[in-house]
Amino acid sequence: MLLIALCWLTPALVQAEPTRVVTADGAITETVYRLGLESMLVAVDTTSGYPEETQTLPKIGYLRALPFEGVLAMRPDVLITTEQAAPQENLDRLAKAGIQIETLPMAWTPEASLERILTVGEILHARTEAKDLVAELSSEISRVQQSAANRGSRPRVLFILAAGNHSVLLAGQDTAASALLDAVNAENAVTTIQGYKPASREAILASQPDAIVIAESTPGQFDISNWQELAHLDAWKSGHRMVADSMFLLGFGPRLPEALDALNRVLPSNAAVVSDDS
Amino acid sequence: MIRDAAGRFGHTPALIIVVCAAVSVALLSVASGAYPLAIPDILKVLGGREASDPVASLVLLEVRMPRFLLGFLVGAVLAVSGALLQGLFRNPLADPGLIGVSAGASLAAIMVIVLGSTWLGEWLEFAGEWALPIAAFFGGSATVFLAWRIANRGGQTQVATLLLSGIAINAIAGAATGLLTFYATDDELRSLTFWTMGSLGHAGWDELVIGAPFMILALIVSPFLARPLDAFLLGESVVGHLGYPANTVKKAAILVVGLGVGAAVAVSGLIGFVGLVVPHLVRLVLGASHRVVLPFSALIGGTLLVAADSLARILVAPAELPIGLMMALIGGPFFLGLLMRRKIV
Repeated sequence: MLLIALCWLTPALVQAEPTRVVTADGAITETVYRLGLESMLVAVDTTSGYPEETQTLPKIGYLRALPFEGVLAMRPDVLITTEQAAPQENLDRLAKAGIQIETLPMAWTPEASLERILTVGEILHARTEAKDLVAELSSEISRVQQSAANRGSRPRVLFILAAGNHSVLLAGQDTAASALLDAVNAENAVTTIQGYKPASREAILASQPDAIVIAESTPGQFDISNWQELAHLDAWKSGHRMVADSMFLLGFGPRLPEALDALNRVLPSNAAVVSDDS
Repeated sequence: MIRDAAGRFGHTPALIIVVCAAVSVALLSVASGAYPLAIPDILKVLGGREASDPVASLVLLEVRMPRFLLGFLVGAVLAVSGALLQGLFRNPLADPGLIGVSAGASLAAIMVIVLGSTWLGEWLEFAGEWALPIAAFFGGSATVFLAWRIANRGGQTQVATLLLSGIAINAIAGAATGLLTFYATDDELRSLTFWTMGSLGHAGWDELVIGAPFMILALIVSPFLARPLDAFLLGESVVGHLGYPANTVKKAAILVVGLGVGAAVAVSGLIGFVGLVVPHLVRLVLGASHRVVLPFSALIGGTLLVAADSLARILVAPAELPIGLMMALIGGPFFLGLLMRRKIV
């Protein structure tokens, strides 16, 4: 009788709701907060800077260089991160130490982004909350995408990653930036670059974009006076530009609808239809 | 610079002090870290018994032990390599970092990381997990050889030429690394960024199994070079008169440094200053004889690196500092201090 009871109890114990959670990815951390589960968080990584309250949590370092003992010392039940997490050796050891490791796929489309929120809800036994959140975000995204589709043209956008006043990278193809532009019916003005590459001032002038987006890794670090050629572009002069936090724009977390909306607002509604370059 | 072979002190007390320091640092390194372990648990696990905390044995045996052993070997090899280079070049400024050996080894390793998906692919498949240490070994050896050839004029090493060629080699390796960085994908970029800062953070038994044989071999061979290197201090022509084959000694020293630094860089990335600072310390206290400098450098180098790694783990816990940064932070001011006291040249 006792044995039978144990057999039933054990899986229930294994499935027990995690109470101590470490997140290593800004968007995942944001998701935990949006689900109202932040009391479970015992530590986050250095990419988790939003919301403000994350500042009070211990930082385990950068998600691409996770320390084994540092994570273990937080005694989490679960570590939620993305497939960017490294080194793999330490993830394996943490799993061996009995920590549930969840490496979620990178989310570079609205669909994948919402899917990832559902997965976080699943892991943290907050399915209902996650579904509600996804429903809310999904309708906001649809609204923005509807308005983007109505634009009728695909504006070409110069997307710049500012990692310092003098370190300015152009976002090329196969980047979260490019994927974000896709989601609002816009296209990357930089077609010949893969990934993020240092910007050439001439290339910036030559790109002649319809809009300019600058993602800052630290708020306020981009200084237009260092990049006069941007100021010379028509898109800059006509106000089709935005400067925002890079995690906000590129995190593909629960702030995605806001990011899409902000981006959509700076796109010109009647951009010249560019000749098809395919 | 050259003191009586016995130095200021007899060697036995010094040996006792150094061994005691090594043992204490070893205990500190195994017992401390972000994850708190109770002393009884540590003793139980090391005694082969079950600890009350089931995770304790994993932390100790799978992480801290290999990390300690690897750290000690890397520190010992870097310090011995520094001592060998300083003897070979007859210059106290020679160091695997300054004359570009570390940069050469690291460039070769980074080539394996970035070009692994292109034309190096077939060789990588063939060499497997040995690809990185082997590449680092050839990169390291090639750079020592190059620095040697450039700085050597008529049997004498030109100090200024040596340092300038080191600067040039570092610059070229740095540029090549930068070029590879430019072409790297985001994934490759993350590997090589942390590479250049040096870390024992992913050290495990696998890294130890791959790196240790090379490093132990380098450590075993180096004492045989002590007497000929002492002769080198008196001038290259003297080496022959004393009955040592000068060219063989040079080649052997270059091979040992390439092998040791290559393996060290392959498992831990770039860690500077151990090779420069440690032999200096030993020479200041115990005299310049390589029979003393080499073994003491190994012991102190290993101890210093393990101590620095322990600090790197504890200071910003639960995060970890890259150990290359720790060493530069400790070694840089120390080196400046030495320079200002004019004890270098």
